Amino acid sequence: MSEIPHFSRVLIANRGEIALRIQRACRQLGLETVAVYSEADADSRHVHEADIALCIGPAAAARSYLDPDGLLLAARLTGAQAVHPGYGFLSENADFADAAEAAGLTFIGPTGASIRMMGDKITAKRAMRDAGVPCVPGSDGPLPADMDAVRAIAVQVGFPVIVKASGGGGGRGMRVVEREADLAQAVTLTAKEAQQAFGNPTLYLERFMQKPRHIEIQVLCDTHGTALWLGARDCSLQRRHQKVLEEASAPGIAPETIAEIGERCAEACRRIGYRGAGTFEFLYEDGVFAFIEMNTRVQVEHPITEETTGIDIVAQQLRIAQGEPLGIAQADIPLRGHAIECRLNAEDPFTFMPSPGTITRWDLPGGPGIRVDTHVVAGYTVQPYYDSLIGKIISYGATRAEAIARMRVALAEMKVEGVSTNIALHRDLLADPAFQRGGVDIHYLERWLAQRTAP
Amino acid sequence: MNNRSEQLVPHFDRLPDPEQIGQMATWLAQAGLESLELTNEAAGLKLRIRVEQAAAAITAPLTGVASQPNDGAGRVAVKTPYFGHLCLVHPLRDTPFAPVGTKVTQGETVALLTLDSLQVPVPAPVSGTVVDVTGQPGALVGYGAAIMQIQPD
Repeated sequence: MSEIPHFSRVLIANRGEIALRIQRACRQLGLETVAVYSEADADSRHVHEADIALCIGPAAAARSYLDPDGLLLAARLTGAQAVHPGYGFLSENADFADAAEAAGLTFIGPTGASIRMMGDKITAKRAMRDAGVPCVPGSDGPLPADMDAVRAIAVQVGFPVIVKASGGGGGRGMRVVEREADLAQAVTLTAKEAQQAFGNPTLYLERFMQKPRHIEIQVLCDTHGTALWLGARDCSLQRRHQKVLEEASAPGIAPETIAEIGERCAEACRRIGYRGAGTFEFLYEDGVFAFIEMNTRVQVEHPITEETTGIDIVAQQLRIAQGEPLGIAQADIPLRGHAIECRLNAEDPFTFMPSPGTITRWDLPGGPGIRVDTHVVAGYTVQPYYDSLIGKIISYGATRAEAIARMRVALAEMKVEGVSTNIALHRDLLADPAFQRGGVDIHYLERWLAQRTAP
Repeated sequence: MNNRSEQLVPHFDRLPDPEQIGQMATWLAQAGLESLELTNEAAGLKLRIRVEQAAAAITAPLTGVASQPNDGAGRVAVKTPYFGHLCLVHPLRDTPFAPVGTKVTQGETVALLTLDSLQVPVPAPVSGTVVDVTGQPGALVGYGAAIMQIQPD
């Protein structure tokens, strides 16, 4: 390292498996960690392993992991010089990123300005279009107040269209319109909902792609002008907009196609001065990529990219935040083999209701090409206050078939008692002929589940 | 951090009106503090408020105080309502708030948490007698930490 590092102690503003993942990366780089936790997480693994652990509030996230003032005060009191937000919680809160830097901390992520730009779907899309990233045909800006003008835009884009809230996300604040006759009512309702949910009634409109896949490109950017793309992930297996199983690379899409789209993403990062890790999410149908949004943080499914590139994404986030240049060139990034991630949730396999409780048995799989990222140990109590993710099994193989075979064995070895899990769902999915062929669309899993539960 | 102090301390560009000064005095009393001084040298303003800390402290019902589990012997733990450095001694009086044997009333300040310039009072959850002080002075304590035991009346 040529420059003086910016920080030596990192506050991890998160919980669960990602808090442990960040802590591992910090310790490998010789950085001290501060675990801040809610009362409900006092017995977490990363809390025990931390150099400094501080309970900052009750179980309610609003008074612990989502309390920006509390987190910054905790950083001050514990002498942390940097804050890693993980995913979820405050990771994509531009005001928090700004407040952290204003308090003299290094925010391990992009600038508040970048987060703000990408958080607003309209400005994000405009920036991407300007940078040559392909976008779905749409209104190219906020919908006008005049309904006739809205109708003209929709006709030009072509039905079916989807009306979305500019401030929305995660599947909320959107409505599909099949016919022109239904447009006016849909726009009025969505605007009202958007005002209530996000405090911002601004809408935009896009062509509704009927059977797209969810393909995303991982990027890494340093503060010296280098922006790299790390291949694609296929995250099409979703239920209610929540990813269930992801794989890298995307089956059936030519590497040259991914390279072209990846280079455009990297170029967009250079143009906006993006810093850190990020993900460009696309819908993909009939050879056409359409940008949906950029996630300005590390993602749950980052390990499959780590497996296929050999790059430790979280360690790179820390190095970038220290001001180091990325010591990798695009040509040096191998995209080799295939990786699959199964998200393990403590939930009922049929109703998908969360299944909190104490885990009495926790036998992990192993062997070549198997990685498990989890904060859970036997005796751990799954809390009802947070999401139900209890771990991730990642399999790697020289080929997709080998990755599937290894995952099948891993899921058979994985034994959990005390809470219900979705392990059986993953086993069934891996055995599904359409999944085995590869390239199913984002609605496939919901259709599959509907048929499974049909009498 | 800056934002927080701006929220807590109003802009001192003119003298507050008497009602505001009265409100500040009430807050001081509730926090177990004796005096507060605001200075704006550029505007040539200085405001000093002193309050008498009555022996029977004013009850300050603090929302969100952690639960008060009973340890079986009838004792009730005093739990911290926030995190910070534990201060068992009154910063301006050199005397402990509530050493072992002290009679306290519910809501009375029995310790302070200091976070930089911020001070958060720790109120007694019940009226009774302090029978044990387990918190270490100056230690960084988390939310919900048990720092004292009170034998209720």
